Amino acid sequence: MTWRRPLLTTILCVLALSPFALSQKAQPKADDAQMRAQDAKKNAAEGERRFRTNCGRCHNPPEEISPREARAVVRQMRVRAMLSAEDEKLILQYLVP
Amino acid sequence: MPSRQGTVCVKYRWFVIMVFLFSCSVRGQAQENVPILSGGAGFFGAAQGGVHFYQPVLAPVLTVPLGAKWLVESRADLRGFISRENGTSGPYQGKFFGTLEYLQLDYLANSHVTITAGRFLTPFGIFNERLSAIWIGKFQDPPVIAAIGTGRGYSDGFMLRGPLVAKPGYQLNYAVYFSTLSTVNEFESQRGTGGRIGIFLPRTRLEVGASYRRTLQGDGENFQGIDLSWAPYAAPVEIKSEWAHSDGGHGYWIQASYRLSHLTGRDAGLGRLEPVIRMQQFFRSKPVPDDFLPTGNLQRPEFGLNYYLPHEIRLNGSYARQYFSNTTDSNVWEFGITYRFLFPLWPGGSK
Repeated sequence: MTWRRPLLTTILCVLALSPFALSQKAQPKADDAQMRAQDAKKNAAEGERRFRTNCGRCHNPPEEISPREARAVVRQMRVRAMLSAEDEKLILQYLVP
Repeated sequence: MPSRQGTVCVKYRWFVIMVFLFSCSVRGQAQENVPILSGGAGFFGAAQGGVHFYQPVLAPVLTVPLGAKWLVESRADLRGFISRENGTSGPYQGKFFGTLEYLQLDYLANSHVTITAGRFLTPFGIFNERLSAIWIGKFQDPPVIAAIGTGRGYSDGFMLRGPLVAKPGYQLNYAVYFSTLSTVNEFESQRGTGGRIGIFLPRTRLEVGASYRRTLQGDGENFQGIDLSWAPYAAPVEIKSEWAHSDGGHGYWIQASYRLSHLTGRDAGLGRLEPVIRMQQFFRSKPVPDDFLPTGNLQRPEFGLNYYLPHEIRLNGSYARQYFSNTTDSNVWEFGITYRFLFPLWPGGSK
């Protein structure tokens, strides 16, 4: 019976401190998310440039394209227009931000 | 000891979890690789030398991505040809044709190599592979020399293609193929080999390519071609051109289009209008049976207008004067409407 009280105290302490610990960890996560968002924005801009460079010289862009359709379209264009794997990835990020 | 009821509950719980996980995986897979149906539908009319004819066309393209590296793609051309029974008189009658233009399996081996097997569009010049879709081509008719190096337009065999070098300043792309002889009805192809190599300058959107094909049957005919494509960023202009040579003759086409988007923007009024001009010539050197080329020398200057309506609809009209050495010269009037479509093959939300 004597060991129960310290164990309970420890558990309560851990539970009480956990929000602080989580909030301490959340800070780097927020930074990561911000950096990822910036990267995604940069990649989408580069993807738009590559879309104009490669696809736009033969045909107009589709008026609208859903993310579900975009993957198949871009893969088909990779084969047809001889895009690199990097072109495919960036154009997809532009079409499916 | 657990009761029988408890065991059943545990079993069902695992079953429910497995079903949930499987449905999640299928759902994730579905969002990654949704097959699509795209392509064009159109209705074309033409009048040449007093003969009128009409062509309803449906050209669906099926695209099925499989996993991360595979792709199945196919295009058919379903076309009607409606004209008067005796050319200029009599009741109208129609014939309908279906052509499987390509049905290919692509394996994206790496960033530089894609391996293709099946029926594919023959990579010779730029028209056949890039501009032959009815919603892309600026004129209703293909260039007169389109058959040089491509024949019917497709080959049955295998092909390697991709960007050989991809630098920010230049890209070197290639396509090499081998085609087998097929005499199967509706699946005919010639035994031959060839390819195309192109250099593309992304900063100016200028590309120059060279193509070669050798037929490995009959007399072993050789075909050579050079193509040029330029779409400067500074203006909505596109210039495209091809020159091609075969044993039967040689010729060229050069086309320029200018979208008047600077007047009102691309999506309003005159900004949707695109004048196009094309000049083409063909010089016959000797008769070659079944080469799909004019039997004599031909010159054909053309002028057209395309109008891009909302919802992927395009109207086009053109006039050409055809000077043909074997018959009298003639005027060619053409008009058409095309619709470009694209939708996923299985239902789901817009996301």
